[in-house]
Amino acid sequence: MSSAAASLQARRTFGGALRGLTRRVGGREALFGIVIMLVLIAVAVFAPWIAPHDPEAIDAAQVLAPPSLEHPFGSDTLGRDVLSRVIYAFRVSLAVAMGSVALAFLIAVPLGLISGFSGGWVDTIIMRPLDLLLALPALLLAITLIAIVGPGASVALIAIGIIYLPIIARVVRSSVLITKGLPYVDGARSRGVSETAVLRRHILPNSMGPALIQGTVLIAFAIQIEAALSFLGLGAQPPTPSLGVMLNDGRDVLTLAPWVEIFPGVAIAITVLAFTLIGDGLRRRLDPRGVTR
Amino acid sequence: MSSARLRFVLRRTAVMIPVIVAMSIFVFLVIRLVPGDPVRTMLGFRANDENVATIRAQLGLDQPLLDQYLAWAGGLLRLDLGRDFISNVPISQLLGERLPVTLELTFLAMGLAVIVGIPLGVLAATRRKSMGRATTAYAVAGISIPDFWLGIMLVLLMAGTFRLLPPSGYVPFLEDPVANLRYMILPVLTLAVAESAYILRTTRASMEETMGSPFISFLRAKGVSERRITYHHALRNAAIPIITVIGIQVGVLLGGAIVIEVLFALPGVGRMLVTAISQRNYPVVQAGILTVAIIFILVNFVTDLIYGMLDPRLEEGDE
Repeated sequence: MSSAAASLQARRTFGGALRGLTRRVGGREALFGIVIMLVLIAVAVFAPWIAPHDPEAIDAAQVLAPPSLEHPFGSDTLGRDVLSRVIYAFRVSLAVAMGSVALAFLIAVPLGLISGFSGGWVDTIIMRPLDLLLALPALLLAITLIAIVGPGASVALIAIGIIYLPIIARVVRSSVLITKGLPYVDGARSRGVSETAVLRRHILPNSMGPALIQGTVLIAFAIQIEAALSFLGLGAQPPTPSLGVMLNDGRDVLTLAPWVEIFPGVAIAITVLAFTLIGDGLRRRLDPRGVTR
Repeated sequence: MSSARLRFVLRRTAVMIPVIVAMSIFVFLVIRLVPGDPVRTMLGFRANDENVATIRAQLGLDQPLLDQYLAWAGGLLRLDLGRDFISNVPISQLLGERLPVTLELTFLAMGLAVIVGIPLGVLAATRRKSMGRATTAYAVAGISIPDFWLGIMLVLLMAGTFRLLPPSGYVPFLEDPVANLRYMILPVLTLAVAESAYILRTTRASMEETMGSPFISFLRAKGVSERRITYHHALRNAAIPIITVIGIQVGVLLGGAIVIEVLFALPGVGRMLVTAISQRNYPVVQAGILTVAIIFILVNFVTDLIYGMLDPRLEEGDE
């Protein structure tokens, strides 16, 4: 039996299908990461139906109540249900993280494409100013932008997006540099395909792999940066619940009611874990050359 | 130093200067980019026409932009960063008190992370199975757990439950070294965990690559002991990516230190910056950003130099 036929045979069983899927996503850990991520996204999308209580409902009788069946994660200083608040806060944190990466992609992918494809002075004009952004530590750059504009969740989103611009532009640029030297690009040119069509149809799709890997990892970092900014009082502002805001609130009652502090942190750690595992798996699968390393 | 090396150092130095100038322009513009009138924002409810005019003149905001920059940059060269808008203390004096705290925190954390991360990374690359799994788990956990939350949990454990260490505070090292280090243990540990995870990952990847290269097989065939191959030959060859990552990560630590200083009430540059932002104390904000940025640029410069020293190709004059 040829190997193709063997793999077809194997996929007819559930175990075989699972093995095939595991191989496609880049390993068992990555599959685990994808499962967590899907659950987390479902939680964020269906928050109003999943959360057992109103996240803003104040209950004087339940102030700092320890975890129970009624309040699985306990309740906070105002008697609000910590589980429901974690669910809603997670929604905000994930939106900021994914939004910032999406924003960075929107701007940085075209810049990286043009920069790598054109080379020469165009490359210099695009990349030098972006490189300057790398001359500041990421968190400091975000804090600087917030110092100018003022705090808030949307400012944090934009600030994180700006931090990511040079990172994504560089990854796209270096994979364009590799792709544009490949024989099929020359082939397309020799057939008389226009430069824009070569860029759009041949170079863009074949250069996105490393950027997607980087994007997954950057979502993980964005969750942490957002939490740190909100923790410092520079990100999302109360009453908008974000995981960082919750961690800031919980500090005051740390020894009295540690559950107020523990669960938001666990939520961040699990989210970052999921995206890190997916990123590692994608890297094994899509980037054997190590462009993103 | 060979002439190729000397040229390399000179070229690196020449590259650093425009970056610092560009950075100073950027930081200079920070206060000018504040929407509306920065002076009115700074003064808040105390703003009346007379106050606003006085402060504006005091900060030089009534001068043409180029003159303002030249005056400010000239001050920087004399280490004169202006005065704290609220306490009226010279900012250079504030930085003199606070910079040592930030540097102590950052470099102790990096030192600890290197001491833990490199040996674990080497072990992960050279021993198989169980060691590899354990170190992978540590690396993934270290990267996933937010550092400041880990710090809070350490406070809960070490200062709350066991009462072993102070939860927050600071004593200068020269005043009482033992007390200083006791206050530093939790913040340094907090910053070092995630950092050691990064160094572990890089060391493992770089060592795995090196251990698979032909010269290692040759050394094995020659009968060189595995221990000597690992630490004397392979680690040296694997060092360049590790050092690059350490250099980049010092910057990440300088950023992380901002949060950790706030968390543990350490009087460093980061906490000064965050307080100044909330008080709209722009001269201090500018000084804080510029200080951290310049440290970061200098660290990158030193990393480049070490990189140059380690790269044998520089001996022959090409880069």
